Amino acid sequence: MFKSIWSTLVGLLIEDGQLAIGALVALAVTWLLAAAGGDQTQQVVGWALLAMVLVLVVANLYRAGLVARARVSSARR
Amino acid sequence: MDPVTLAIHATPAFVASAVEFVEATTIVLAVGVTRGWRAPLFGTLVATAVLAVIIGTLGVAIVTIVPEHLLKGVVGALLLLFGLRWLRKAILRFAGIVAVHDEELIYLRELAELRAQGLRRHEFDWVGFLVAFKAVLLEGTEVAFIVIAFGAAGGVALTSAVVGAIVAGILVIGPENSLKFGVGAMLCSFGVFWFAEALGMTWPGDALSIPLIVVAFVGVSWLAVRILKTVLPEGAQIEARNV
Repeated sequence: MFKSIWSTLVGLLIEDGQLAIGALVALAVTWLLAAAGGDQTQQVVGWALLAMVLVLVVANLYRAGLVARARVSSARR
Repeated sequence: MDPVTLAIHATPAFVASAVEFVEATTIVLAVGVTRGWRAPLFGTLVATAVLAVIIGTLGVAIVTIVPEHLLKGVVGALLLLFGLRWLRKAILRFAGIVAVHDEELIYLRELAELRAQGLRRHEFDWVGFLVAFKAVLLEGTEVAFIVIAFGAAGGVALTSAVVGAIVAGILVIGPENSLKFGVGAMLCSFGVFWFAEALGMTWPGDALSIPLIVVAFVGVSWLAVRILKTVLPEGAQIEARNV
C-alpha cells in the first residue's frame, strides 16, 4: 500500500527521470542566462527556455521510441 | 482581469480536473460495486476532508504569503515538470507505443483485484477504505496543485480556476488521452511563461503569448508522434515507465 502511494507520488513529477533532469537543467540554464546577461538577454530567456524544452521533448521521445523498438525486437526473439 | 485571461486560466484547471475526477471515480466505483459502499464512501469523505485541510493551510498560505515572482518561478518550474510528464505519456499513446488509458479496463482490473482479496462480513472493510482514500487523495492533490498554481496569477484567476474545476466535476467529456495531451501542452506553456516572467522577462502581448507557446508545444508534439511512428510503425503496448 505505502509502496504504491510512494510510487504514485514520485510518478506525479518524475515518471521519466531523464526528462525531469533535462527540464531542470533547462530551467537552471535559463536562470543563469537571466542572472548573467543584461536587460536585453532577460527579455529573451523565455524563448530560450521554450526552445530548450521543445528540443528536449523531441530528443526524449526519440530515445523512448528506440528503447521501445529494442524491447519489441528482444521480446520477439 | 478580462474574460480572455480568465478563460486562459480556467480552461486547464477545468480539463485537468475532469481527467482526475474520472480516474478517482473509476476506482471508488470499482470498490463500491465489489465490496459494498460504506467503506469507500467513508474513505472518499476522509480524503476530501484531508485535502480541504491541506489546501486551507498550505495552499492559501503559499498563495498569500510567498512573494509573487518567487511563487511564479517555483510554480512555473513545477508546472513544466508536471506538464512534460502528461505530454510525454499522451504522445507515446498517440504513437501507439503505450496502451491508451482505458478507464473501463482499469475498472475491470480493479474489480478483479478487489474480489481476489476477499471480504469478511461484519468487519469494517479497511481495504476498501484505503483504496478509495488513496485514489481520492492522490488525484485530488493533483487537482489542488493545478488549481492553486493557476490561482497564483491572482484572486480572480483563482476563482476562475476553482469554478473550472467544479464545472469539470459535473461535466466530464472528451476522450481522455486528448484531454491529457491538451492539459500537458497547457501546463508546459504556463510553466515556461511564468518561469520566464519570474526572471524578469516581459512577454510580447503578455498573456496573449501563451496561445503561441501552446501552438509550439502542439506542433513539436505532432512532430514527435510522426518520428515515433517512423521508428516503430507497428506500435507496441509498453508501460510508460519502461520507455
